[in-house]
Amino acid sequence: MTSDPYSARVRELFAGSEHAGDLEKPDLRVQINEQGVRVALAADVDGDIIVHLRFRAWGCPHLLAAAEAFCRAFEGRPLSALQAFSAAEIMQTLPVPREKLGRILVLEDAVRSLGQSARVSP
Amino acid sequence: MSKGTDIVYLDYAASTPVDPRVIEVMTPLFGVDGDFANPSSGHIAGRRSQGHVARAAEQLAGLLGCSERELVWTSGATESDNLAIAGAARYRADRGRHLMTMPTEHKAVADVFHALAKQGFEVSWLDPAESGVLDPAELEAAIRPDTQLVSIMHINNETGVIQDIEALGAVCRERDVLFHVDAAQSVGKLPLDLASLPVDLLSTTAHKVYGPKGIGALYVADRPGCHVEPLIYGGGQQGGRRPGTLAVPLIAGFGTAASIAMSEMRENHAHLRSLNDRLWRGIRDLEGVVRNGGEGSTFPGILNVSIADVEGESLLLALEPLCVATGSACNSTNREPSPVLRALGCSDLLAQSAIRFSFGRPTTAAEVDFAVTRYRDAVARLRGIAPGLVA
Repeated sequence: MTSDPYSARVRELFAGSEHAGDLEKPDLRVQINEQGVRVALAADVDGDIIVHLRFRAWGCPHLLAAAEAFCRAFEGRPLSALQAFSAAEIMQTLPVPREKLGRILVLEDAVRSLGQSARVSP
Repeated sequence: MSKGTDIVYLDYAASTPVDPRVIEVMTPLFGVDGDFANPSSGHIAGRRSQGHVARAAEQLAGLLGCSERELVWTSGATESDNLAIAGAARYRADRGRHLMTMPTEHKAVADVFHALAKQGFEVSWLDPAESGVLDPAELEAAIRPDTQLVSIMHINNETGVIQDIEALGAVCRERDVLFHVDAAQSVGKLPLDLASLPVDLLSTTAHKVYGPKGIGALYVADRPGCHVEPLIYGGGQQGGRRPGTLAVPLIAGFGTAASIAMSEMRENHAHLRSLNDRLWRGIRDLEGVVRNGGEGSTFPGILNVSIADVEGESLLLALEPLCVATGSACNSTNREPSPVLRALGCSDLLAQSAIRFSFGRPTTAAEVDFAVTRYRDAVARLRGIAPGLVA
């Protein structure tokens, strides 16, 4: 028996973070530095639909995995769906240990800010 | 990859595999056809078991340069540290209740002092220089008339920094203060001659030196004023200092491991030096990389490095299948920056990225080269993912 702090899902998302990086001239961009972590999100949109998502993050493997999971889940969805992104849900599905809630809430703030920035964009 | 496994193990400061020559000595001592009897029993089988204990004591005493009578078998270095510090503090409590140690000590030492502080003892924590080394003059200045015990580790388990235990012990001896050394990382790796060193109490363990887990020893100098009160009661074994049935196969294994370490120390040290140099050469050009503990008085079996703008937990995962330790060393689930690195002046941000590589007899140059590649790749990948500091 091992006491692996990372689920298979977290390991897969951490190792295969194909959404890590930048978009050339993204339509939307946001970065939050809080709780000792940094999260940046960028999106290309077509009308109300999110076409591409990318993230950059400085933090623990759970945060990086959660950012990748977000990008995979929200490409192709409407911008309005971003407001439904829930730290609590991702904490449960990956899963993420409770003591890391603060870091996942930074991701949640970044996701929601991305949605807010869409509203004020021309 | 380590032989027959899918990992590359570079965590020999945490534990070593048991040497096959040690296993060979231990194995026959478990079964009905072997010398399994209680060594305290007076019959012939018990005397045979006792013979193995006596032989092991001879071997360990030979390595340490002390008398067999000065050794107390324990379950490991943690118990040895507890017995030395709490046992000596209680024995000398009527003379004074002031004790001294350093914030860079292993938790097996530090936590005993924290516990004693709650029991009416006063503890002073001596800070090292930035190199991690304690200046004997600092120690001398801090000793008070009521000081009874000083505990300083020989090789630091996180950084490999070596303390000058001869000079520190001389200060203590001059002032009639007991001097305890946690030598879990140094026994069998650096020459020790307790007959000439001014050390009163010394803790060691077998599993750091290719012996089995679950067995250690405490050296208690046979000199006036040096004694430890037992921590447990229940029999007269080992002069009552540490009662309980002796674990004969483990003790025999420890003795054999000590004997092997003594005969191969010089070549092992050279091997570790070449591996340490090879790894450091492979990564020292990375931007923001820092060698914790410096390049001065450090043991070559340990290389502790931090790197700027890389998150430590992600680095550790990205390094897999390398088995290395974080700055938190023995407690890798705790991501608090290491107090040892903090005491060396390392910032919290840099300390959280610390990785301890530690090498052993089986480590190969190819494994070190793998570690170099893995470390460089992981740093590049994580830095590539990280956003800038400015939002």
